[in-house]
Amino acid sequence: MSQPTQGDVPIKSENDIVVVRRVVRDLVTRLSFGVTDVTRAVTGASELTRNISLYAGTGIMWWTTLDRHGAAGLELRFEGHGLGISDIELAMKPGHGTSHGLGLGLPGAKRLMDEMEIHSELGKGTTLTVRK
Amino acid sequence: MLMVTTPADPDDLMVKTRQEEVLRAMERYRPKGLVLDISGVETLDSFFARTVAETSRMVGLMGGRTVIAGMRPSVVIAATQLALTLGGILTALTVDRALDLLSAPPPRRRRA
Ligand SMILES: Nc1ncnc2c1ncn2[C@@H]1O[C@H](COP(=O)(O)OP(=O)(O)O)[C@@H](O)[C@H]1O
Ligand SMILES: [Mg+2]
Repeated sequence: MSQPTQGDVPIKSENDIVVVRRVVRDLVTRLSFGVTDVTRAVTGASELTRNISLYAGTGIMWWTTLDRHGAAGLELRFEGHGLGISDIELAMKPGHGTSHGLGLGLPGAKRLMDEMEIHSELGKGTTLTVRK
Repeated sequence: MLMVTTPADPDDLMVKTRQEEVLRAMERYRPKGLVLDISGVETLDSFFARTVAETSRMVGLMGGRTVIAGMRPSVVIAATQLALTLGGILTALTVDRALDLLSAPPPRRRRA
């Protein structure tokens, strides 16, 4: 039987952080990531999901499996509703969190994953796309 | 000595509940130290790390020392890439070594 190659997880509350972690862990394990990369991907996803629950309120994570030069990969798209980020460059700098955290989430997630892109539209929301 | 084992994938509520339980147990049993066994933990994100550092400061205010034991290699790597710090808490590779550390006399000066 073939496995699904894409899906989504709605992020409505803090409780969904652990749901996202579980989904990402199952996916990358299925894609035969090594244990360190599994932990990296799950930790990065945890940070980005927490940001949605803290700063955007609600959102959704979309996932798609990738063929990365013959190796299995995963793309995660974190769509946060809410206001958007006014200064992305500043938000990406370590230590520039605005409220609850240490400002490690965004720069950390970028290091934990292979690629990260941010798209933010003021008044509409923020989308973070990561690949590994 | 107070020994606390953390679950593999705790949600925020579980983390906070555990913190309160630790403080209540500190009051009730008045141990000299706390060993936090995180060998089962598979994901250490910034919230978890912050709560651990905070708990250790609270335990310090109650006169106890905290040692974190058993961080898995994959968790060490991810936490380092995330640039997480545990606020200078003592760490040990195993619970046994954590107990050794706690039974040794405390260093004369220690930063909280
Ligand atoms: N999904 C999001 N929607 C809106 N703002 C966000 C989002 N993610 C991050 N931010 C903003 O970027 C800042 C930096 O995030 P991060 O690096 O995770 O640090 P922290 O969460 O500790 O503040 C946040 O404080 C917040 O202002
Ligand atoms: Mg954050």
